[in-house]
Amino acid sequence: MSITTTDEIETTRTAIRETIYRACLLLDDGRFADWLDLCAPDFRYQIKAFSPEIRKEMTWYEQDVSGLRTMIEMLPKHNTDHGRLMRHATVYTIDIDRDGGNAVATTAFSCYRTAFDGINSHLDAGESQLFVIGRYHDRLRLGADGPRFVERTVVLDTRRLDKGSHYPV
Amino acid sequence: MTGIEIDTTRYDSGERMPSVDSRIYSNRQIFEEELEKIWKKVWLVTVHESEIPEPLDFRTITIAREPIVIVRGTDGTVRAFLNVCPHRGNLILRQPSGSLTVAEPSGNANHMTCMFHAWQFDCFGRCVDIPRMKQGYQERLRNEDVALTELPCEVAHGGFVWLSLNPDSGPLSAFTGGAFDAMKTELETEPLDVFHYHKAIIPSNYKLWHDTNSEFYHDYMHYFNRATSMVQKGYFDRRYGAFPNGHATVGSMEVKYDAYKGAAERPLSFPGMERNGWKMVDLFPGATYNIRGSSLRLDTMTPISADLVMIEFRGLGLKKDTAEERAQRIRDHNTIWGPFGRNLHEDLLGITGQGVTMRPGTAPRRILHGRHENNLIHDEIGMRHYYAEWARRMGRSPANPMAAPIAMAAE
Repeated sequence: MSITTTDEIETTRTAIRETIYRACLLLDDGRFADWLDLCAPDFRYQIKAFSPEIRKEMTWYEQDVSGLRTMIEMLPKHNTDHGRLMRHATVYTIDIDRDGGNAVATTAFSCYRTAFDGINSHLDAGESQLFVIGRYHDRLRLGADGPRFVERTVVLDTRRLDKGSHYPV
Repeated sequence: MTGIEIDTTRYDSGERMPSVDSRIYSNRQIFEEELEKIWKKVWLVTVHESEIPEPLDFRTITIAREPIVIVRGTDGTVRAFLNVCPHRGNLILRQPSGSLTVAEPSGNANHMTCMFHAWQFDCFGRCVDIPRMKQGYQERLRNEDVALTELPCEVAHGGFVWLSLNPDSGPLSAFTGGAFDAMKTELETEPLDVFHYHKAIIPSNYKLWHDTNSEFYHDYMHYFNRATSMVQKGYFDRRYGAFPNGHATVGSMEVKYDAYKGAAERPLSFPGMERNGWKMVDLFPGATYNIRGSSLRLDTMTPISADLVMIEFRGLGLKKDTAEERAQRIRDHNTIWGPFGRNLHEDLLGITGQGVTMRPGTAPRRILHGRHENNLIHDEIGMRHYYAEWARRMGRSPANPMAAPIAMAAE
């Protein structure tokens, strides 16, 4: 599938942008299975950060589609924080391969947590606090069904996560 | 491997149900006393030597509110100094890490420079430059009068940098005693290397985190541990060992990682450790070495106030790991121990909740430490042993901490 004309490029970019934003909305709503429907079967998800303390890039989370589905399936068995994570994202760049088969996109995001449990729910429930900021580095495959995520690397700028989370960001 | 008799502790002798008063976790006066009597007196494990691999690499940390810089000297030796300029008390190095080989705007390369008035110090803590010294101080001050304050510092027990704010702390070996005997092969056979670091600041008392690391009854909170350990052979045979100065160990078992859907057996291990083994060393007053098969986790705590603590989490493998081995260790580590892992989040929620009920000013509560199960895994001897040492150093009873300080017998 060759994408050559300006219109084709812009149409493809719009589709990619909408896919990324749709993924944000699905994650915001906790619709993880629907989020995974936007992903190719060989999708890989990673959360990374650079630590100046140990001078290394770190991988904090890594799963394939099967691992993500299992993780989601197992969540009800775990005690967890029930605050809602909500993303504010801006797609900065989209670069489409010459052959039109793949694209890479860079998206800046911030993720807020609106407390439900909080620390003391009587005081904290309803309060929104910044949880993490970073960038999504996405690779997408372009097909007849539209763009599908093949790889998402979440590179966090935030390195102090306090109580952390069980959920993908 | 038990180092000392652990059936008696000073604060619960004669009590049918050993307990502590929650004010040991919430009282601000007690917290300040802890900084003076404990945190400024004992040896503490800090960064790993692999964080400062090259000469003139440095790391900065804080203990009991005192800023500290750890530097690898040009001679390869790791030293620790108060990170405080002896001129007007400014913080000297402000970054978490770096290399002194990089010149600062106020000073030369290879020196620690206070940016305020450009006083410069070398990696041995010696003052090497005071701008316009003779004009200002004439003969009343010389470079050698104002060296940085050096702290007792040793690299030990897996290549970690240990230090003490107490110049009379004695050798580290006297403090750790035999606590590492059961983990010596794992820690000392091969050099280790840090692959994971993150930190959490939690509104809770630091001892509550150490309590969590010192008792396994809370495995009921972790589905992962119930599935892979509690229902598996050997779990209830795990035995605590207690050692002088408040340290404790937990014996190993074979964890069935594949009993948790989505997790897998851990093919890698540490030298001398059985596959899928799991052992721990809890160190007074606030650190834990925890090896689960393929990765070592080190928790270190920095108490900030009675109801606030910073916990730093490190994950380590072997320095000789291949890229594939390292990736495997990281995956194993993250399953439960990363900031998005299954267990760590649950543990942190646990002490967050305790922090709510034991904030400064909350009503005193009786906190039970009374499980006796022959020093096996659900026994609370780990906590009782810790608080016996706490009582000895604080001169207070954990069960009645607001009573007049009492004279405690030496260990």
